[in-house]
Amino acid sequence: MNIFSRRTVLAATMSLGLAAPAFALPQLGQPAPDFKALDAQGHERSLSEFSGRPVVLEWTNSGCPYVGKHYESGTMQSLQKKETADGVVWLTVSSSAPDTQGYFTAPTARSWAAKERWSGTAILLDSAGKIGREYGAKNTPHMFVIDKTGRIAYMGGIDDRPYADPASLKGAKPYVALALADLKAGRPVATPISKPYGCSVKYNSAD
Amino acid sequence: MIRLLAGVLMALGTLAIGAPALAQAGPARHVTAELVSSRQGIAPGETIHVALRQQIQKGWHTYWRNSGDSGEATRIKWELPAGWRTSDIIWPAPRRLPVGPLMNYGYEGDVLLPVALTAPASARPGEKVSLNARASFLVCAEICVPEDADLSLTLPVTATSAPQDPKWGDQIEVVLTAAPKPAALAAAFQPRPNGVALAVTGAVLKGADLADAYFYPFESTVIDHAARQAIERGPEGLTLTLAPGYGFQGGRAPQVLAGVLALDGKAYEIAATPGAPPPGASGLGPPPAKGAGVSNLGLAAAALFALLGGLILNLMPCVFPILAMKAASLAGHGGERAEARRQGLAFGAGSVLTFVILAAGLIALKAAGSAIGWGFQLQSPPVVAVLALVMLAVALNLSGLFEVGTSLQGAGSGLASRGGTLGAFFTGVLAVVVAAPCTAPFMGPALGWALTQTPAAALVVFLALGTGFAAPFVLVSFAPGLLSRLPRPGPWMELFRKALAFPMYGAAAWLAWVLAQQAGAEDLAKLFAAAVVVAFSAWLLGLAQRRAAAGGRARGLAVGAGLFSALALAAVVWPQDKAAELKAEPYSPARVAQLRAAGRPVFINYTAAWCVSCQVNDKVALSTHAVASAFDRHKVAYLKADWTKRDATIAAELASHGRAGVPLYLVYGIHGGEGVILPSILTPDIVVKAVEAADRS
Repeated sequence: MNIFSRRTVLAATMSLGLAAPAFALPQLGQPAPDFKALDAQGHERSLSEFSGRPVVLEWTNSGCPYVGKHYESGTMQSLQKKETADGVVWLTVSSSAPDTQGYFTAPTARSWAAKERWSGTAILLDSAGKIGREYGAKNTPHMFVIDKTGRIAYMGGIDDRPYADPASLKGAKPYVALALADLKAGRPVATPISKPYGCSVKYNSAD
Repeated sequence: MIRLLAGVLMALGTLAIGAPALAQAGPARHVTAELVSSRQGIAPGETIHVALRQQIQKGWHTYWRNSGDSGEATRIKWELPAGWRTSDIIWPAPRRLPVGPLMNYGYEGDVLLPVALTAPASARPGEKVSLNARASFLVCAEICVPEDADLSLTLPVTATSAPQDPKWGDQIEVVLTAAPKPAALAAAFQPRPNGVALAVTGAVLKGADLADAYFYPFESTVIDHAARQAIERGPEGLTLTLAPGYGFQGGRAPQVLAGVLALDGKAYEIAATPGAPPPGASGLGPPPAKGAGVSNLGLAAAALFALLGGLILNLMPCVFPILAMKAASLAGHGGERAEARRQGLAFGAGSVLTFVILAAGLIALKAAGSAIGWGFQLQSPPVVAVLALVMLAVALNLSGLFEVGTSLQGAGSGLASRGGTLGAFFTGVLAVVVAAPCTAPFMGPALGWALTQTPAAALVVFLALGTGFAAPFVLVSFAPGLLSRLPRPGPWMELFRKALAFPMYGAAAWLAWVLAQQAGAEDLAKLFAAAVVVAFSAWLLGLAQRRAAAGGRARGLAVGAGLFSALALAAVVWPQDKAAELKAEPYSPARVAQLRAAGRPVFINYTAAWCVSCQVNDKVALSTHAVASAFDRHKVAYLKADWTKRDATIAAELASHGRAGVPLYLVYGIHGGEGVILPSILTPDIVVKAVEAADRS
């Protein structure tokens, strides 16, 4: 009933086109949109292949200073390492369009992963911005956590420090790590939504 | 090797040039930053303004306090001598900076970000003070670069206020004057199916150019920044329809929608609270497109458009039924051309004259200083409600529920029975009066333009409009060919008339929608109740008429019908007593704990819109003067726990008091302890006694 009415409202909003969002705004607690994309190894991956496991989506742009803050300090990689060891699927998505900052081809994505000691499950190449638009990804890094049942359990920033300054990492509240801990403990996620921050995702200018 | 050499040379160069060169080192920067002062010095205890100046490279931008979908606001970290204080940045209104499908808020070009600087009273005249600051800002074009600047400003401490800085004094003053400020604006927001309606009213918005109105929120999670903000004007302000952001998800909503309302070069700070829109925030449609349409038209062109507009008005749902019926009756004069002509001219005179009278009234009101436009009749909710009921009555009449004279045109033809010419004249008057509600949405912009012109020009436009309006009918009466082509009156007219009822029902429905926008759900409910009563009395009247026609006695029924109609009309125009309405704040367990800790008596009303007994209690007990004054006297905190939508917290709270639903009225005393549960059916007396007891125990 609740789901139905919310969907109806969304559909009505879209069809009226009155204040329709510029692109999709994912809904907390709703099924995460499925997608298909090639990864840096050239394999086709989809969200549905990971059903039954928690999934983290991380939007990235190798040239973005906010992404740099988390990779140069190593906090992103250590979280990737810890969570994937724990059975979490970690998908790093690049939606930078060709000729924009952070555009990945399979080889450039692989060399970036090697250089940064990236430790996720797969790097998805989304230069058309299809997954990005579907999830309303605005920033790098914009983070989503999907629970075992495939519903969106968290979306927003990786922590509560929307600053490029690496000094801001100290004492930050790691929202993504906390959300995953809540899911594993079977608790409701304490902070399911936060302000996403960082650089803009460098979409192609199709719209 | 070459690189090493270069490095050594650079290091040597740095040593030679000294410290200042260090500040300039590094890659090419996109922002040149400096600190500037509005005054040449500062006196002890005085507050002056200094500013961070950013000269931003072309094509790049820095950010406002809410950077929008990406980016980061400029920050200044001050290092000041003891006792010196600075304020936060006084942010100028930002610009919208779209990036692909995203939206950023920020600044381009040469920007001054002022800060108030206060000297301690102990500052010693004659000394110099050094103000040091590290400014951090993200500067972006397609890509983003974080930049830092270590800045310093030295000011002499003067015995008295120092003169303005010749270069920066005026410029900083201009920025401060233009910076967004609160302006006694009433603001409320309400989630609706098509977005979050943000309604703002206030004196500064009356008559302002709202075409570029835009709301910049302080928080980045409350709206979807990139979505278009639809603008609806009202007589007292405007309503923006915003796409809700993450903050509205998961059954939550922000407590406040605070930010900057920017329009036409001005900017105001607003803080909207949840609730119904303040009156007068909508009803006048979107602003006319800038530089398009009639604004650039000369008088002749405007008159031509008005003429066409008048012609189109004939097809409006409010008007067409009347004219069609009148034209059909005209066909009855088929043999008497002279009579038809006379009637046509009389109709034309009636409608043109009515338009001119309306225009003269408008111009006079405008001259008297009222900020009104065409359709001003529709800005008052009681007028809209009455018009809706009139439309309904006309529709019911067309449907054949009852008769007026012979039918609707009787308003004119009642007189017409005495003299066809006079009757036609009044039909013209009636047609314009009934047309008025339809002209507001369709003719609004054109008439708005006319009203900004000289009275003579405005009259010409209205005259043209009236002429266009009357033309088809007059033409029919004058052209024998057309007249003979009109179908003869006959049984088809009855069918035609019933079909024409539906546009009138549509007009009534539209007016009901307007009322809902203006006054909210409660008044709409009242209107619907009145509509049912009107339909009932129309049916009674019809019954009476049929009985009378059959020779029976029907006076009682007719009187009943009249009484009921009067009742319905009174209900919709009766002013509501809002004086006794209690101000409630939204419920949260934390707020309750806070208020109880502060030693306030707390009254919690667990209610829901769909709970009838809750509404009855609200009306008969809680909205009385006795209760309002008791709450006031005992400083009772009144919290409303609205269970209209599912809410786990409220459900748990109800369960803990042994309830599965609403209503539940809880009163907490000032000395702690369990809350007292009041009966489910309240009287003012019960409530007053309960809060008196709460203030003692």
